[in-house]
Amino acid sequence: MENILDVQNIHTFIGQYHILQGVNVRVPKGSIVALLGRNGAGKTTTLKSILGLTPPREGKVIFNGQEVNGLRSFDIANMGIGFVPEHRAIFRDLSVEENLKIAERKKGDYLRKRDFIFDLFPDLKRLIALPGTSLSGGQQQMLAIARALVPDNQLLLIDEPSEGLAPVIIESMMSAIRELAKESTVILVEQNFLVASQLAEYYVIIEEGRSVQDGKMKDLAADKAAIHRFLGAA
Amino acid sequence: MNSFLRKNIVMLVAVLIMAAFLIAAAQGMEKQDFVITLLRGLAVGSITFLVASGFSLIFGLLDVLNLAHGTLFMIGAYLGWTVVVRPDTFVDMLTPLALIVSGFALGDVYPLLASRIRLGLSMRRILPWGMILVSILLFGFILPRYPIAIWDVGNYGQSPVTFAFMADSGARLPVQPAAFTEISAPLAVIGLLLASILGAFGISLFDNTPRTVRLSWKNFVSIAVALVVALVGLIFNDQLSAFFYCLNSNWLFFIAVLVATLSGVALGGLMEATLIRPLYSRPIYQLMLTLGMSAIGIEMVRAIWGRPEFVMPKPAFFNGGGEACPATNFADWWTNHCSTILLFEGRVRVYNEIFIPLVGLVVLISIWILLQRTRLGMIIRAGVQDSQMVEALGINVRRVFTMVFALGVGLAALGGVLGAPSTGLSNVMGESLLLNALIALAIGGLTSYPGAALGSVIVGMIQQFIIKYGQIGIVIPFTDIIFKPTPPLVPASTVLLMVIVLLILPNGLLGKKE
Ligand SMILES: Nc1ncnc2c1ncn2[C@@H]1O[C@H](COP(=O)(O)OP(=O)(O)OP(=O)(O)O)[C@@H](O)[C@H]1O
Ligand SMILES: [Mg+2]
Repeated sequence: MENILDVQNIHTFIGQYHILQGVNVRVPKGSIVALLGRNGAGKTTTLKSILGLTPPREGKVIFNGQEVNGLRSFDIANMGIGFVPEHRAIFRDLSVEENLKIAERKKGDYLRKRDFIFDLFPDLKRLIALPGTSLSGGQQQMLAIARALVPDNQLLLIDEPSEGLAPVIIESMMSAIRELAKESTVILVEQNFLVASQLAEYYVIIEEGRSVQDGKMKDLAADKAAIHRFLGAA
Repeated sequence: MNSFLRKNIVMLVAVLIMAAFLIAAAQGMEKQDFVITLLRGLAVGSITFLVASGFSLIFGLLDVLNLAHGTLFMIGAYLGWTVVVRPDTFVDMLTPLALIVSGFALGDVYPLLASRIRLGLSMRRILPWGMILVSILLFGFILPRYPIAIWDVGNYGQSPVTFAFMADSGARLPVQPAAFTEISAPLAVIGLLLASILGAFGISLFDNTPRTVRLSWKNFVSIAVALVVALVGLIFNDQLSAFFYCLNSNWLFFIAVLVATLSGVALGGLMEATLIRPLYSRPIYQLMLTLGMSAIGIEMVRAIWGRPEFVMPKPAFFNGGGEACPATNFADWWTNHCSTILLFEGRVRVYNEIFIPLVGLVVLISIWILLQRTRLGMIIRAGVQDSQMVEALGINVRRVFTMVFALGVGLAALGGVLGAPSTGLSNVMGESLLLNALIALAIGGLTSYPGAALGSVIVGMIQQFIIKYGQIGIVIPFTDIIFKPTPPLVPASTVLLMVIVLLILPNGLLGKKE
C-alpha cells in the first residue's frame, strides 16, 4: 500500500539531549496509526520532528514522496499536515471563531469547512463568539481538533486527544476522530490503550526515543504480554 | 455583569485610584493649572506610549527586550529634524540609503540562488564571511567619499544648533551643495548596490534551511522601488532640494513625520533580519546586542549631529502669533493657528498639549484595530502565546516577527519626531524616554497593549503633577506646611509607584498571570 508518510530512522536533539535515537514510522494513506509508549518516550517529539518544529538532525521524513526534513515548519504544514498539540494548545486570547479562522490557508477555508466542523462538534457552534479562555477542557480539545480541519489537510497529527477528559466526552471524541479519518490520514498519540486500540489500524511503539515494534493493531491487542511489557497497561 | 466586575476589578480599582488622585490634585491647585497639567501629562504619556507600545509588542511576540528602542526613538527625532531643517541633506542621503536597503529588499531570492550553487563544505563556510567582508570594504570605501551636503559640527556658525535656531526664527542659512569629486556617480551607485547585495546575500547564507520559494514579480517590487528612489534622488537632486526648500513648514513637517516613521520601519526590519534573527536561541546575546546597538546609535548621533541640544521648528499650523493670539476657542484657533489657546483661563500650547495627545489617541486606536480586527493582528495575538503553534498552522511566523519589530521601531521613531518640536533634541532623550517607557510597562503590564497605554498615561500624569507641585507647592493635609517636591522627585516618584504596583500585582495592572 502507498505510504503518505514515511519517517526513516530520525534522530532529534533538543539542546544537547539526544531525544530521538532512531524512529521509524510508516503511515499508509487513509489509515489511523497509533504511536504508543510510556511517558517521556518521545511520542510528542516524533510528531514535532515530522513537522520540523524540532527538526531531526539525521534521517528522513518523506511526505507524499517528497523529502520534507530540513524544510521550515510552516512550509511543511502548508503541504497539508495539521497538528493538534497535546494539552489542548488553543489560543486563549482569541475567540473560538478566531481560533478557527487563524488556521485558514486560503481565504474562505473557514466558511467552506464550517458546516462540516459543526456537524462533527455541535457544541462549538454556540460557543463561537466566546473567548478561548472560557471553554471547558473537552471543548478546548474539540476546538484544537477543529482547528486542524479548517484547511485541506491530508495528514493529521493528533497528540493525546483523550488526555484528562471524562469518559462520555472521550466517546464523542472518538466518533469525531473516526469521522474525520474518512477524509484524511491520522497519526494518533494515545496513552489510553483502549482508545488507541479501538481507533487505529496500525501501531508503532516508541521506547526511550526508539521505535521498537510496529504492526497491525489487532495483533497487538491480542498480545497481552507485549502490551504489558511496553506500555505497562493490562 | 458580576463576572465582568470580577475580571476587571484591577482595572476598575486602578481607574478609581487615578480618579481619586486627580480629584485630590484638582482641589490643591487652580483650575487652569489643573487643566494644563492634565494635558501635559497626557502629552508625555502619549510619547511614552508610542515607545512603550512598540517595545511591548516586540517583547510580547519575539521575547526580545529591545534596549535600543530609546535610541531608535532618538534617531527618529534627528532624522525628522534633518528633513525640516536641512532638506538638501536629506535629499543627498536618499540615494545612498535606498541603495543600502536595496540588497536586503531581495530577501527571498537569495535562498533560491543559493540552492542553485553547489559548493564544497569549506567553501560554504567561507563564502558568507567573504561576501560580508567585501561588502563592508566597499561600503567603507564609498560612503566616506559620497558627497552629502551637511552642517559642520565643529564650526558653530555652521552647526546644527545654528541651523536649527535660524530655521526656528523663519530664516534659512545659505547652504553649499555637494558634488561628486572624490568618486564618480555611476561608480558610487553601482558600488553601493553591489555592496548591499553582497552583504545581504552573505547574511542570508548563514541560514541554510532549504526553502520552497516560488519566485514571482512580487519578489522584485521592493528592490525596484528602492532603485527608483535612489536614481530619482541622484538625477533630480537639485530639483528635489529646491522643491523641499519651497515647501511650507506644514508639508515639510508632515514629510518629516513620514520619513522618520518609515525609516524606523526600515531600520527595524533590517535590524531584526540581520542582527536579532540569528540569535533567537541565545537571548542573553540578543540582549547584549541591543544594548550595544543602542550605544553605537548614540555615538553615531553624536558624530553626525553633535552633542549640543537644539530645537526643531514647529509647523506654522501650530505656531501662529500676533494680535489675535492666544485663541479663545477652537473656531478662532482654526482661523489664526495660534500657538496657544485659552482653555479654562489657562494658556495651553496647541502643538504640545493638544496635538500630541490627539496623535497618541489615533495611534492607540489604529493599533488596537490592527490587533483586534485584522488577520495580522490575530496572528500577533496568537503568537504572543505560542508562536510555535502558529508556525505549525502553516504561517510564516518569522516574517511576522520582522513586521512586528519594524512596526515597533516605526512607532518609536514616530514618537521621536512627534516629540522633538516640543522637547527639543538631545543625545540623552532616548535613554530617559526608554526608562519612562519601561516603568510604564512595569506598571501597566509588560505585554498588555491596554496596559502600555494606561501605564504611560499614569507615568506622564504623575511626573507632570509633581513638576507642577514643585512650582506651586502642596499643602500637607491637617498642617500648614507647604511641601514643594524638588526635581529629583520626578523620576523617583514613578519608580516608587512602580515598586508599589509590582509588590501588589507582580504582573502590573493589566498584565496576565502566567
Ligand atoms: N525542551 C526539552 N528539553 C529537554 N528535554 C526535553 C525537552 N522536551 C522534551 N524533552 C525530553 O524528551 C523526552 C521525550 O519527550 P516527549 O514529550 O516526546 O515524550 P512523550 O512520549 O510525548 O511523553 P508524554 O506521554 O508524557 O507526553 C522526555 O524524556 C523529555 O523529558
Ligand atoms: Mg507527549
